[in-house]
Amino acid sequence: MPAVSVDTFFACSLMVMLVLSAMAITTKLVFPSMNATSNRNLAERYKETSKYLLLNTGKPSNWGQDSQTTPETFGLAKPNADSEYDLDRDKVSRLNTENAYAVSYPDIFTSLEMSDLSFRIKIEPVFKVSTKLAGAFLSGDDTVYEFEISTDKQGAPVSAQLKIHVVAGEYLNSISVLVTNGRISQNITLPNSVSGPALLIVFAHSLYNDKIVSFDVLAFAHNSSQPNSRGALLRSSPLNYNLNVSLLDSRIVLANAYALTFSYNSTLLLTSNATMSATYAIPRFLDDSMTVLVVTGSNSTAFFTEWTTYPQIPVENGPDLANLSTLSSVFSFKYLVTIDSAIYECTILVGGPEE
Amino acid sequence: MRRENAGQIRILEAFFSALVIFSAFAVSSNIPVSQNASRSSDLASIGLQALMKLDFDGSLGQYIDDRNWTGLREVLGVVLPEGTSFNLTVYNEQMVQLNSVVISNGEFGSQTVTCAQYVCVSQGSAFHSYIVRLCLAMAT
Repeated sequence: MPAVSVDTFFACSLMVMLVLSAMAITTKLVFPSMNATSNRNLAERYKETSKYLLLNTGKPSNWGQDSQTTPETFGLAKPNADSEYDLDRDKVSRLNTENAYAVSYPDIFTSLEMSDLSFRIKIEPVFKVSTKLAGAFLSGDDTVYEFEISTDKQGAPVSAQLKIHVVAGEYLNSISVLVTNGRISQNITLPNSVSGPALLIVFAHSLYNDKIVSFDVLAFAHNSSQPNSRGALLRSSPLNYNLNVSLLDSRIVLANAYALTFSYNSTLLLTSNATMSATYAIPRFLDDSMTVLVVTGSNSTAFFTEWTTYPQIPVENGPDLANLSTLSSVFSFKYLVTIDSAIYECTILVGGPEE
Repeated sequence: MRRENAGQIRILEAFFSALVIFSAFAVSSNIPVSQNASRSSDLASIGLQALMKLDFDGSLGQYIDDRNWTGLREVLGVVLPEGTSFNLTVYNEQMVQLNSVVISNGEFGSQTVTCAQYVCVSQGSAFHSYIVRLCLAMAT
């Protein structure tokens, strides 16, 4: 090959490499600026949409309370709310698919009247309570259970005041505990005359503000077999201060029902009873925390303890936007919301189709 | 190489060069570019929301009345989203700083800092108004 051809080949290669590098670098630097305006507009639109979900009551404004009503327009705000981002506990409960009266995502999507976007909403306490059974030992006529309880936000300890309720059959006991460094080991004593399975309900509120609440519930065996998985025997659906219990097995006999909050506890009043369902009235407590509703009974062979919360939190509804390849832009927005004065964290993901 | 074929080779070279350049355009437009969706206005909005939620029942004014700076720092640390650094300063009506200690959960470093300002009125028996300045940054 002549020397001039070799020179030309290297010159061309160098030129091509330079052009390619320049284009890659230019794209990296200029592309965000080129798309900045359209992305800003898109983000702004999605943000307004997410705010609309939380600030608008929907139509009819009390659609959450009526189990038969599907909203014509969707919104989670409480009617006549005293502050912004104050959500209706029934509307939030109907987002939870565990609730028999839950509104389906297609219904929400239709009532939102924005066919070009999808969203996923998550409402949860601002910090987490975790409970673990560390051990158990007999002590005379009692069994002592040792629990490790932690209160944290993404691993950072949260100082909290705890109220621990223990329910087993007709047995109900409560204690108060202070957690200053986010972790505590707590012994709970249960008489051996009581038959389980037992339920440990831990309510927590920040040591510095009782509107910042969280909770955890742990079922454990006590003079019984291991507890059933949650929802295996009953479907509990709280709505409009009534707890509707649907029996999933005809052999189930209900025994007791309790409503528990941080400061209060009460036995639930049975208001109606049918073959495969029952309804209890939920008291209106003067408490910031969520209410944990516990139903006990037996299924001819063994006792059981089922529970749910009112409002039904944590809740997550909507498609998994992270795995939808058809969406190009997904934006996440975080809000602090209140439900009956308790503060929760709400995350809304909004995504649009590929253009 | 014969002299009469030289022109044809130059045409082929030009053709391949053009092909490479247009391919580069096509390829470079598909190079993924990460876009940071978090914006300072969102952070300021979250900060303002946190202050408003704390002020709704008078808690914010109560912390300041009691000079409970530890409580204020702990509460902000819980309600603000994870990965958020904050620094809060409280002023009175004469813009004199009231907090004697730093109300913060860490250094901002070189991050982009955004601030929200909120006027808080104490709900105690004596009237006090405060100006609360909350500076926020997202940890990178």
